[in-house]
Amino acid sequence: MSGKPKAAFFDLAGCEGDQLQIANLEEKVLDLINIVEVVSFREIMKEHSDDYDIAFIEGSVTNDHLAERLEEIRENASIVVGLGSCATIGGINSIRNSQDHEEVKHRVYGDQADLFPSWDKAKAIEDVIKVDYHVHGCPIDRDEFIHVVESLVLGKDPEIPNYPVCVECKLNENICAFERDEFCVGPVTRAGCDSCCVNEGTICWGCRGLIDNPNDDAHSDVLEEYGLSAEEVMKKFNLYFGWQQEARKDE
Amino acid sequence: MISKEDFEAFVERLVKEDHREVVGVQEKGDKFVFDELKAAKDLRLDYDVTILPPKKYFMPQRETLVKYKVKDGHKAVNEITPRIILGIHPYDLEAIRQMDKVFSDTYEDKNYLKKREASVLVGVNIENVSEWCFAGSMGTSTIEEHYDLMLTDIGDKYAIEIGSEKGFELLDEADVMEASEDDISAVKKKKEGVKEKFEKKLDLPPEELPILLERSYGNTDFWKEHSEKCYSCGSCNLVCPTCYCFDVKDFNELTLDEGERIRQWDGCLLEEFAIVAGDENFRENRYQRYRHRFMRKGRYIHDRFGDIACVGCGRCGSHCVPDIADPTEIYNDLKEVTK
Repeated sequence: MSGKPKAAFFDLAGCEGDQLQIANLEEKVLDLINIVEVVSFREIMKEHSDDYDIAFIEGSVTNDHLAERLEEIRENASIVVGLGSCATIGGINSIRNSQDHEEVKHRVYGDQADLFPSWDKAKAIEDVIKVDYHVHGCPIDRDEFIHVVESLVLGKDPEIPNYPVCVECKLNENICAFERDEFCVGPVTRAGCDSCCVNEGTICWGCRGLIDNPNDDAHSDVLEEYGLSAEEVMKKFNLYFGWQQEARKDE
Repeated sequence: MISKEDFEAFVERLVKEDHREVVGVQEKGDKFVFDELKAAKDLRLDYDVTILPPKKYFMPQRETLVKYKVKDGHKAVNEITPRIILGIHPYDLEAIRQMDKVFSDTYEDKNYLKKREASVLVGVNIENVSEWCFAGSMGTSTIEEHYDLMLTDIGDKYAIEIGSEKGFELLDEADVMEASEDDISAVKKKKEGVKEKFEKKLDLPPEELPILLERSYGNTDFWKEHSEKCYSCGSCNLVCPTCYCFDVKDFNELTLDEGERIRQWDGCLLEEFAIVAGDENFRENRYQRYRHRFMRKGRYIHDRFGDIACVGCGRCGSHCVPDIADPTEIYNDLKEVTK
């Protein structure tokens, strides 16, 4: 890339909360547009161009139409970055992946369900196209987004942790959720959030997805040993890991 | 000797008037942590164990080493806050003694050593024992040096042993009195009594650990079986008072014209810890990383520095969610199977 790289933001099935995090960078948005030229960002500008180098994509893929759009973006961009859980791991949308699809459609759209064609499973964007980098989280962490952008502009690989949230909980000297008689999926979830939820006294729900090589079998056993039923364990894992767990089975 | 009332007044004066930051053991939920003292009454010298050891004051969890500007070059950074640290248990003082050695042996790590020099270490003999602690087996339930001051609770007063000039000077402002024969024997009794309080015990003298571990390195089945439930989460490393590994990373500002180099605690249980250039991982399997920690604590550090690097605080065991990290269980089992 010579000169200032051109960046574009896109959204598939998602709440646009990750783009909102970027819009909320406030004064840092000015630093951002100093190092990249933003050519498309529906949430904050009306201009649009299909001439871009880096595509930031939020949301998961849930139907043919979105898949086609995604493929077009891949053709246009030299670097594709997934933005937020829905894009990187299927996210909340993939809760439905383990449920009866007709029932899910009716629950959401009622009698009009047939007007909304959708796949029975929500997919992470890497299920459809090649993805170069991921900015995980629900929502994304603004500092991590900045780190990814500056790394890409400098031509470096960004440092995205591949260790579990337990690491950050220890660095922050948190009381472990398990010691508070609560149960979390932090031991198998990718860190990088600075254990923000546990810092506030709650638990890790797993929004950044599984680490590359989680000991999830052990974690299911341990959760059951701590008194959770198999069904409750499944619920813990299905909130964010629905797509990832199936993708790992297929490997 | 100092009455408890006078001791509280003394700490209160330090908090209000001393130019140094005063930190001490305080409650966090139903656990304990070392943290800045706002008032003397928050100090809990009767604690069992803290989540993190006081090592964090000399080797912070995240620390800036260098700041750089593209136009002006770089400068080394060492943010030193002079501190009085109140309430360090003997096993943690032993760990600090070992860390002092590690950080000054071949390379003088100024970021550690300057912070260490700027600190006053006030120890306290153990009043309540954590259910995971086995300091009694490691010879670290009491300590006779490597502190500036050492307190012992003997009812309505604290006995104070002076370990250094720094400690002696700190007492300038305190209403202390000479110890009587009775006080001295009360302290002695207390120190001897604590040894009996530990439920967890090692079935072998710690001096035998290096040879036991050397013999059992190749017992792969043992290490695989015990590490089956390991998350590779590094919690056992991160709460350990003698773990000192760190990772170094650069972070740039979005303006791209400045940034900083930081170091952050790392742990050998983490999957990527032993990856080198070319993506080779020297300890790719869970059991290899799990074994490595026990080897470090009981053998490798001993070979290198002459110390058994486990001080028996029990933090690793207590923080391990699948409960597979307790060194007494592992070392005792190893002794059992290695005959």
